[in-house]
Amino acid sequence: MSEPMIDIRDLTVTFTGGRKPVHAVNGVSLSVARGEVLALLGESGSGKSVTLRSLLNMHPKGRTKLSGSVKAAGLDILGLSGRALADYRGKTASMIFQEPLLALDPVYTVGAQIVEGIRRHEKVSSSEAYARALALLQKVRIPSPERRLQAFPHEMSGGMRQRAMIALALACNPQILLADEPTTALDATVQIQILLLLRDLQRELGLSVILVTHDIGVAVEVADRVAVMYAGRIVETGSVRDIIRNPRHPYTQGLLASRAHDAMSGARLDAIPGSPPDLAALPPGCAFAPRCKFAAAACLTAQPDAIPVGPQHVARCIRTAELVAA
Amino acid sequence: MSGEPVDPLADPRDRGGPRQPLLTVRGLVKHFPVGKNILGRSTNVVRAVDDVDFDLLKGETLGIVGESGCGKSTTARLLMHLIEPDRGNIIFDGEVVGQELSLREYRRQVQMVFQDSYASLNPRLTIEDSIAFAPQVHGVSRRESLNRAHDLLSRVGLEPNRFAGRYPHELSGGQRQRINIARALALEPRLIILDEAVSALDKSVEAQVLNLLLDLKDAFGLTYIFISHDLNVVRFISDRVMVMYLGKVAEIGTAGDIFDRPAHPYSGALLSSMPAMDPDARTLEAPLYGDPPNPINPPPGCRFHTRCTAVEAVCSKLEPQLAATSTNQQVSCLKYQPGSGHSAAPPALEAAE
Repeated sequence: MSEPMIDIRDLTVTFTGGRKPVHAVNGVSLSVARGEVLALLGESGSGKSVTLRSLLNMHPKGRTKLSGSVKAAGLDILGLSGRALADYRGKTASMIFQEPLLALDPVYTVGAQIVEGIRRHEKVSSSEAYARALALLQKVRIPSPERRLQAFPHEMSGGMRQRAMIALALACNPQILLADEPTTALDATVQIQILLLLRDLQRELGLSVILVTHDIGVAVEVADRVAVMYAGRIVETGSVRDIIRNPRHPYTQGLLASRAHDAMSGARLDAIPGSPPDLAALPPGCAFAPRCKFAAAACLTAQPDAIPVGPQHVARCIRTAELVAA
Repeated sequence: MSGEPVDPLADPRDRGGPRQPLLTVRGLVKHFPVGKNILGRSTNVVRAVDDVDFDLLKGETLGIVGESGCGKSTTARLLMHLIEPDRGNIIFDGEVVGQELSLREYRRQVQMVFQDSYASLNPRLTIEDSIAFAPQVHGVSRRESLNRAHDLLSRVGLEPNRFAGRYPHELSGGQRQRINIARALALEPRLIILDEAVSALDKSVEAQVLNLLLDLKDAFGLTYIFISHDLNVVRFISDRVMVMYLGKVAEIGTAGDIFDRPAHPYSGALLSSMPAMDPDARTLEAPLYGDPPNPINPPPGCRFHTRCTAVEAVCSKLEPQLAATSTNQQVSCLKYQPGSGHSAAPPALEAAE
């Protein structure tokens, strides 16, 4: 097997800025192959965005403690700084965010921002960069792209801005695209357009993608594999089919069962009781155990190991074998 | 939950009997002026809600869906009289609000829960004071309103002894939304308007709050208006659904009809925009292109004609009217309007002699 494009080993991220240290990510390992789409699925505070941001080394230096290793395209990301980091960002890996209006610069036109990105990384003339920016807007299917190059972000609609954001992210032909809830702020009819665009571009350009989302439906539309996160750990990894049809971790099972998706109208939902743990005071054992209906005494004392439950399918739960037999 | 489920129709405040809608909305209009010229006159209007009619039956849950800018939240605010309508009537159980029924009396019977659970609570009031506030305004003694607050806290699943003295910032989002629901119940309303009330919650907590809403509806004999952009949740909780587009009602019908047999092209497109849940049946083509148009200067004729797949020349000229296509479904589309000139439309009815 060839070298994975993204390889994260035992990543921990602790924010020390507040009164108590917050353990946002606690030992995450994952890898993404060339041309593969991985969805990081989880609720707020599960550490999915923090994991993603580590891939661009975006955490504030003084207030963050990082350990483990993060490799992308053969580079050691946590060791990069200064010029080398700036060269890596945008050129090798780039990111699209949830709210393009906040991510784009309000005082420059969309065209100027794309041109700036291209010329930061490549020695090209400004007219050549403009031509490339125009081609990018066409690629993300923005209507009348010549006019949109001259538009400021606030002059565009939400869906159009997210397309412009994608164009900007792809400006320097990166190999890795990181997407943090790219469609959460969009309306339903626009969301599906952006998801299909991401899927098409990913195939066409052979990108390795990590997509952070809280919406299982979004993951199903775009991802090859899904990693489910809870309290800063990956609790289950598998193909989209495995996760949807045969979830093995009680949290994944609970999450799928509690959705209003195909519940009988008016019947009660099978909700997971309680709420996610405080990341400043994590229990020593499995973080999900206090909410888990299958929890045993052993769950409360030690971290469960990752247990293979199928080819490419791993669940971090000590009772998976018994639960299947039951 | 204690006690027998309350039948909404056995309510002593009921006036018109079971067949009379709890809320009848006719010709509701709200335009917001935007932009000013040199004389200080507004140059444009956002047609946020433009001639909306619907009935809300007693004891039902009416879901309102639509994209941003379709007027669903403005409709909610108009129903609460948080903003004044430009035109139109709201009739609550047979009485015109603001005329036969005073606003004060109306607001006792209609309460609202908002999306942002934190912003809608006073940060300087304890939980019990927040819940007991409105009853005191309406003349209930402090002691009795605090007792009621404690009772409501246990009804929404929060231990009164642990939570009554806390402040909003000490609670999680799900707990705060339970407080907002308890506060809405404090005046014993008949109608609760839930404006994206579960949208900010995580999925596992959202399911808990939806279950709570179902329990409370039975226990207190409530009627709900449930506004959400999450179609799965609306399908789950609603008896009937109203689809809105750019300030207009596109379609109203039972949840089963709207979700299984949507008549309006927009309803159909909206539903098929939901991400597939089957990895082997992914969406291959987006049902609609582009974004919803700006509600400032909406397109003429049918407002949906710029994105509609069934569009014909007549759609940009003639504005469709909301009309019944069956006993419990109303659609606003020229395809269903007799003699409209759309090729799929039924022939015009003979004028009655």
